[in-house]
Formats: sequence, C-alpha cells, structure tokens
Amino acid sequence: MKIVKNLVAAFSLKSEFAARRNKLYRIAYSWCHDAALADDLAQEAIFKAIKNAARLRDVGTIDTWLYRILFNCWQDYLRVKGRNVEFVEMHDDDQPEHAESYQQSQIVDRVRASIEQLPMQLREVVTLADFAGLSYAEIAEIIDVPIGTVMSRLFRARQNLKQQLLDFGSEELAEFKLRRIK
Amino acid sequence: MSVNEITEEKLNLFIDKQLDTDEMNEIHQVLLDDKVLRERVCQLKAVRELVGYAYSEVPPSRHEHARKKSSRSIYARAIAASVTLVVGVLLGWSTYQYSPNAVNAISAENTFQYVANQVTVDHTQRKIILHIDSGDFRVVNSALNEADNLLATYRKANLPMKLDVVTNKEGINILRPDVSPYIDRVQKMIDNEGVSFFACKRSIAKANKIEGVEIVLMPGVITNKSAKDIIPNRLQDGWVYIKA
Repeated sequence: MKIVKNLVAAFSLKSEFAARRNKLYRIAYSWCHDAALADDLAQEAIFKAIKNAARLRDVGTIDTWLYRILFNCWQDYLRVKGRNVEFVEMHDDDQPEHAESYQQSQIVDRVRASIEQLPMQLREVVTLADFAGLSYAEIAEIIDVPIGTVMSRLFRARQNLKQQLLDFGSEELAEFKLRRIK
Repeated sequence: MSVNEITEEKLNLFIDKQLDTDEMNEIHQVLLDDKVLRERVCQLKAVRELVGYAYSEVPPSRHEHARKKSSRSIYARAIAASVTLVVGVLLGWSTYQYSPNAVNAISAENTFQYVANQVTVDHTQRKIILHIDSGDFRVVNSALNEADNLLATYRKANLPMKLDVVTNKEGINILRPDVSPYIDRVQKMIDNEGVSFFACKRSIAKANKIEGVEIVLMPGVITNKSAKDIIPNRLQDGWVYIKA
C-alpha cells in the first residue's frame, strides 16, 4: 500500500513539475536569451527535479525549489563554458507579420537588449524579481546569497535599466505610442 | 521622513513592499507633496513592468513549438498594448501633469493608471479593461483591489470611467457561486459601480467538458462572447488594457 501511495505521490509531483516547464523555460530564456539553451536548461531542471523529488519536503515550496534547481543548472552551464561566455542572440523564427507587431517587437527587443547589457548576476536577480515575481527572500534562497545582496543587486540592475530605457523617448516611439493609443 | 532621506535604494524597497509599515506610510506621506518623488517612483515601477513584459512573449520551446504555431499569441495584442502603456510612462516623464489622484495610483501600486491618465482616448469617459485569466487568489485579490482603486480614484475625481472585467481560463472561477469567495464583492461592483463582468464562453465550454456538468455563474455576468473576441475589439476601440 505504501508503494502505491509513493507511486501516486511521485506521479503527482511529476505532473506538477511538467506544469511548470514553460515557466522554467521563460526564466531560463530571460537569463541566456537563447531558445535552444533555455529549453535544455528547463529540461535538465525538470529531469533533476524528478530524480530528486524525494528531497522536496514541502510541496508549497515547489516553485522556489524548481527555480533553485534551474539556477544551479544555469550556473553549471556557465562554469563549463567559462564565465566570460558570450551569447549570440538567437532570432525567433516566428517574426511578427504585421508592422505594428514588428514595432512592438522592437520595443521588447530593446528592453531585452538593455537587460542583456547587465552583468549576469544583476540580470539573474532582476528577472527573478520583476519577471518571475519572486520575493527578495525567495531569490536569496534560490541563488544562495544574503538578502542584502539581493537588494543591492536589484537596486543596481534597475538603476542601470532605468538609465538605458530612458533613451526610449525617441520620436519613433512617440509616434508609435500616438498611433497605438489614439 | 524628509524627501532627502529617501534614497533610490529605499524607493526600490518601497515599490517592492519590503519596508516596514511605518516606513511605507512615511514615504506615502512624502509622496503626497512631492511631485519629483512621485516621478521617481513612477520610473522605477515602469522599469519593473517593462522587465516583466519583456519576456511575456518568448520564442516557443521545442516542446510547445508545434502547438504555439497554431495558437500563437491570442493575447499578443493585449500584451503589446500593455508594453506600449509602460513605454508611454517612459515617454511621458517630462510632460505628464500630475493630479492629486496620481498619489492614489501610486498607493495602489498601479503604474498603469498613470498611463491611463496620460494616454486617454476619450476625454469624456475613461475606458479600461481588466483581464483576469488566473484563479490564483493572489492574482485575483490584486486584480479586484486594482479595480476598486480605479473606481475609487475616478469617483473621487468625479471623472466618468467604464470598467470591464474579462475573465477566462481559471479566471472564470471567481464568478462561480459554488467555488468563489469573491461573489459578494463582484456583485457589489456590478450593482453599485456598473462594472461589467465577462466570462469567456470558450472557457465556460471547456470547464463544462472537463467537469462533466454545466457550471453555473452568478447572475449579471455576460457569457455570450469569448475573451479572444472581446479584448482585441476593445483594444481597437482604444480601451486601456490591464492584465492581472
């Protein structure tokens, strides 16, 4: 009976992991800006999570636990490739068809480019906070640093981004805004 | 607390609600009188929103690529509009005229409202669409608080405002009397504030199929359209879009 219970629990957890795959992929993508690599990282994280499912004591912390595994996979990758690895931006095959979407895409690209300019440690923190919506405490647990370090990295990341994104005030974007929100 | 004591570090903690209650209140108080500080808060929030939206649409992973090809970006235009709104904040620093209500918007942690104030399409009536596609209580609470804040802000300013709340996916559950703790709250919004609540007909059909019985929604909810139809149409008509 215990075996059956364990099997059911394992199957249930596996479903929970799978349901979060897309989120893991997106977070990985926000770090590496490479779809194939992000896919591999998410896959590896899910694989490790399934393998180590018994170590998850509290299902309520499943997200943080998974993100931590993903983060470790990402750190392993960086270690193998060397810390100064340079990423080549991979372009999406599904480019928006309409000019409006294309302009929108350019804005998103610009924001991503600004994020890409950040040192990796700042990028990791700002995407975990502002994209994944995690608390400082959760981020500290995931990347294994004191909460004060999270605060200071997030502060520096946002200052940097703010400066870069203020350049958005170009005429082109102003025209775009006026056209889109009439 | 004086404005000089409010550093950028502290403002970061403020927008992330990482300060204790006293400090949060003190900064709220300073914000009432200081336009420059309000701008700084607005900028930080806009940066935060932009980072959030930068990855709303990413290239599909290998696993979902095939599926994504066929159903790509039903709400891409809505997301696009949201990004545009935040960009509007970035563009509008210098020209935006703050009203006393802007403070309420900050208090409500609502970057979008600044933009709603700024890039209105209709000067006689503000039209806002709030999209809820999640049943997560944190998301729903935040969305309903957002709706309350919007209604209160515009009512206080004596400005007309039309708010439509569109629910789909798990979001329709907030309108189900058998499972939702929000029925009374929603009913008051419908009865007292004239808010229209939509439940996506496709999501309802899907829920019926999954649960094997016809799900029942509270009275007053509009159910004859899909979110896919409602949202793009309103965006085309110039409604301001807020995603919960």
